[in-house]
Order: sequence, then structure tokens, then C-alpha cells
Amino acid sequence: MRKLVVYDTLGFPTPQDFLKFSEGLKGAGCDIYEVGLPPKYAKYDGPVIRRSHQTVSKFGDLSGSLKEAVEVSKVPVVVLTYLEEHLDRLREFLKSLRESKVEGVLFPDLLIDFPDQLEAVVSKVRSEGLKNVIFTAPSVPDSIIKRSGEITDMFLYYGVRPTTGIPIPVDVGALIRRVRNMVRSDLIVGFGLSSESDLRSALRAGADGVAVGTALITELEGRGVTGGLALVRKYREILDGA
Amino acid sequence: MELNPRDIVPEFWYNIIPDLPRPLPPPRDPPGADFSRIDLLRDIMPQEVLRQQFTVERFVKIPEEVRDRYLNIGRPTPLLRARKLEEKLRTPARIYFKYEGATPTGSHKINAAIPQAYYAQAEGISAVTTETGAGQWGTAVALAASMFGLKSSVFMVRVSYEQKPMRKTIMNLYGADVYASPTNFTEAGKRALSRDPNHPGSLGIAMSEAVEYALKQRWKYLVGSVLDVVLLYQSVIGLETSTQLEAVGEEPDVLIGCVGGGSNFGGFAFPFLGHGTKARLIAVGPAEVPKFSSGKYEYDYPDEAGLLPMIKMLTLGREYVPPPIYAGGLRYHGVAPSLSLLMQEGRVEWREYEEPEIFEAAKLFSETQGIVPAPESAHAVKAVVDEAMRAKRDGERRTIAFNLSGHGLLDLSNYESMMKRFKS
Ligand SMILES: Cc1ncc(COP(=O)(O)O)c(C=O)c1O
Repeated sequence: MRKLVVYDTLGFPTPQDFLKFSEGLKGAGCDIYEVGLPPKYAKYDGPVIRRSHQTVSKFGDLSGSLKEAVEVSKVPVVVLTYLEEHLDRLREFLKSLRESKVEGVLFPDLLIDFPDQLEAVVSKVRSEGLKNVIFTAPSVPDSIIKRSGEITDMFLYYGVRPTTGIPIPVDVGALIRRVRNMVRSDLIVGFGLSSESDLRSALRAGADGVAVGTALITELEGRGVTGGLALVRKYREILDGA
Repeated sequence: MELNPRDIVPEFWYNIIPDLPRPLPPPRDPPGADFSRIDLLRDIMPQEVLRQQFTVERFVKIPEEVRDRYLNIGRPTPLLRARKLEEKLRTPARIYFKYEGATPTGSHKINAAIPQAYYAQAEGISAVTTETGAGQWGTAVALAASMFGLKSSVFMVRVSYEQKPMRKTIMNLYGADVYASPTNFTEAGKRALSRDPNHPGSLGIAMSEAVEYALKQRWKYLVGSVLDVVLLYQSVIGLETSTQLEAVGEEPDVLIGCVGGGSNFGGFAFPFLGHGTKARLIAVGPAEVPKFSSGKYEYDYPDEAGLLPMIKMLTLGREYVPPPIYAGGLRYHGVAPSLSLLMQEGRVEWREYEEPEIFEAAKLFSETQGIVPAPESAHAVKAVVDEAMRAKRDGERRTIAFNLSGHGLLDLSNYESMMKRFKS
């Protein structure tokens, strides 16, 4: 079955609604829940997700919300956060995720800014009882994509656009076919995917699932939890029907 | 073996990105961005050019219309052996050069202008803008635009505009409007003029002006160098060279090119990396714009005003105003991301030379081979001479291939000034 990965920023749109949304995800057809910690510098995030970071920055310490979201969502939770921010206290950080019963962790800057630390970080994550989700992009060379496919634990995350939520014209199918032939792991495609035609071409090109974020954040902003969950259900239908 | 031109001009462009030793850091918006520059690219560039900037397949099909134009302007350009230079240097090295000066506009720049004008026209765009330093890129855009029935406006760095009035004449002949940058019809230009009413201009400022003007007019901006997609288009140079060298039974030991933003160097040398060459690669720049020796490898803006997304490159800083050296095309603060990465990794070596040495090399090449090199390309010539002498010291018959990116027949006032100053 095709996997639907849903992104939300921790505590968005409000800590209460964030939990309500988390709680409804499984029923709406979400398989994996990707929770973003607001970073100091959102290197790969477009304007919409950046705005969500600003919103939640007003709510203070949200570490309790993470733990609760894991409990109520009942699907595996992957935390998205920039490695850059945890380099000096990586073990403590990973321990705290484990204590929140998070399943996996995704560092979007690992391969781009710290390619030499790939293997070391991957084993550290495992030794703390967490799973790796390696993030790759079209600008990652073949040799490194192959290696990432071998060592990622849950799935390989492939961001087809340079930033989230901006419809830069890319040939989604061609970008995915290049990677599909190189990896055996599950391939989940995201970054700027939201249109139905983008989703369908991703699946046709061999993606095992898709990750959606910006469109959901926009929906949560506009129509709240009900709208957000309705959109999740719609994506589920596209995945099941395609 | 005799080759037909159609067998030499490639059918696909080559993209180095999948073959790099480590991931290429992608373009980024700055921290706390007030607007998304990546998003803005959609308004700035033709859609297909933008798609190719981010679609990193190893081989990209060259549209038939573009390949036809390549053939029509005289591609493949010749690959010549510099025998008289070899004799003069008494070197055992064999020296080959790809002569990009043989195109109508006198340099490699037309290779990247044709596809961009083609895609703009195919999308129903009516006019395009760009910046130019030496005047070579502006000339190429002016011609490519007229080939596809587009209007064009060119912002030319003021020092070059003044040093090379004939460049403006050619661009006007092709139908382009040419402005000395900084102008007072863009915000970026006004800012520069308020800092210094006699501002000599810089490529970074001219680039900002062209981008701003394109946005204001709802035209498209054509990119002359630095971005990956331009190196992709320029790969015709290296792909042709590789076929031509093979036809004479040669394999290069050393590959050399000059670097402004990196497009002729990357276009010439990267296809060989794609074939797994063991050759040494040498990038050459001016000591007066010391980006190889003093640049930092970090995220910076390609343009002075910061309208374009940040890219990770070797850079002297976007506000760096280079001295008015004679080689206008090398007066740029940064180096293409893929080339910067390969230099960081040590796969590409670099040299920086000063004006008098460049002048000597240009003179030597003119006297022996009869071709007056563009001052930019003369940087490559200087490195070739050094490598040929090194082969002589080592007693080795190395094959040196370099890209003669353009001729210098419109740079004669610069050469005259050098002759006076260096009294040769
Ligand atoms: C003849 C010639 N060579 C080289 C360059 C440098 O540009 P690039 O490094 O993009 O090839 C220029 C730029 O104007 C040029 O005119």
C-alpha cells in the first residue's frame, strides 16, 4: 500500500489544535507523521512553512506537545529538524526524542552540509534506539543516493524541489525515475508536491508514497483542523486510486 | 578520420551534478527572508530554463531547433593544434585549443544564449534582458534574441561600455538596446550611483539591474554564467572537444580554461570528468580579482542587490567591486557552485596571474598562432605556456588542451593600452 506522510510544524496552528489534528490523522489515512521542530534558519522551507514556524514560536516550550502528539496520533512519528542545531549535544537531543517515543528522525541538512558525517550520525541515531530517515535531493550525486538507500531505516525521503511549497517547474517523473533505479528502500517523495497531477506522476514514476506539508499548513491556517483532516483524506483517496 | 559536423555537435547536453563527489548545496533563501527569491525565479527565468536548472539528469536532450542553430552559426568550432606555439616554446607537449572565437559573436557565450532565447520565445515571451561585462554575453544575447524575434535590453558595465564602444555598435546592429550600468532607471542602479556618481559598475550590479528591469517589464532575464544550467548549455564545448580529440587519437593530460563565472571552464572540462578522465584540470583567473586565493566558500548572492537566491560558492562577497582590469568578463565576485565544489575537493587546481604576464602570453599567442585571444582567454593561454614549460622540464610529451573562449578583436583598445603600459 502506498504511504502517506503528513507534515505539521510542532504546535501548529495552536498547541490544542495541533493535538486534535494529530489525533485525527490515523483515521484520515495518514501512515507516518512528520513533525517539524521550528529551526533558527529554515534553509529548505518556503514562505508558508516559515510562517508556521513564526506562529509557533509564540507558544513557548512545546516539548510536552511532542510527547502528547506521539501518544494520540498512533502512527509512527518522525521528527524533522536541522542537524546543525544539535551538533554539540546530539546524544542528549536524540535521548529526549526517544523519551518522547518518537520513532525516527530526519535531518534535511545532513547530506548537504555534513556529508562526511553521514555514517557517524546514522549509527548514533541507531544507538539511541531511533530510526533514520535519510533526506536526499536531486543535487545529490548517484553514489551517495545509492548509499543512502542502503542505510536509511524507515524510508528514503526525496525532496524534488529546492524548497518546500514553491512550484518550481520540475519534471517530477524524470527526477524520481533516476533515483528509483538506484535504491531498494521505500522511496517517499515530497517538497512542493501538492497538485493531484504531481502526486500521480510521482506514483507512476515509482514512488512508494508521498509527503505533503505546505498544502496542509495552508488548509490548517484557513479552515482549521477539520479542513486539514479533510485534505488528508483527499490525499489518501488519490494514493489509493492512482 | 574525417568527421561530419553533425557527428560532432552533440545531441545531449551533459550535466555534472550526478557525478560530483559530494552533494551540490542547493540555492537557498536567506535566513528571515522577507520574500522568497526562489519563488521569484519563476518570474525571472523562462520556465524551461528554470526546470533545467533544477532537473539534474545526467544528459539533457538538445531541442532540434537549438541544435540546428548551433550548426547554423558554425558549430562545431574548430579544435586546432598550436604547433607554432609548441615550436616557439620548444616543448615536447602537444597543445590543442578549442576555438570558441570562431562563432559569429566571437566567444562561447552564444552557446548558452541560443537555448534560453529559444525557450523564452517558445513560451510566448516578447523581450529579454541581461547584463554584460566584456560585452561578449550581451552580444550573444542580442544575436540569439534577434534569431528568435525577441527584443533585448543589455545592461553593460560602465567601464567596458567606455572601453569598448564597438561592442555597443554590434549589439545595436543585432537590434538590442544597450545601457551603461549603473543606470538611473533601476533601484539597484540608483543605489550604486548615490554611493559614487562615477561608479565604474560591476557585473553584480549590472545583473541586479537586468533582473529588476525584467521583473518590472514582465520580460525574462537570460543568465550568462554561474548557474548550473548555463554550465549545462556550455557543455557542447567539451563534448565536441572530446569527439574531436578522439578523432585524432589524443587523450588530454591537462585541461585548462579561464574563469569569470565558470561557464566556459565548466562547459569545456566537465564532460571529460563525466568520461572519468584522469587529466589535471586547471582553472585560471586574474590576480586582480583574487577569488580563488582569497574567496570564501559560503552562501552568497550571485547579484549585488540580492534578488536572486543565495548559492554556495567561492566568493569575494557580492558587494566586492573589482578593479577595472582589462578582462571585463573576469570581473565577477563568485565562481559557479559545481566548480567551487570541485575546487574545494581539490579536483580542480587554480592559478591567478597578473596583467603584465597575461599580456605577454597574449602577445606570444598572437605572434605564433595569429589569433588575438580575448583578454579573458589569454589567462588560459598563460597557464598553458606554464604547463608546456613544465612538461619540458619534466621531459614529458603531455597533451594539453585548453579552451580559447573568445577572440580579442574587439578588445584592441585594451591591448593598445597594455602595449603602452608594458612597453613590449
Ligand atoms: C571571452 C570570454 N571568456 C571567458 C569569460 C568568462 O565567463 P565564464 O567564466 O562564464 O566563461 C567571458 C565573460 O564575459 C568572456 O567574454
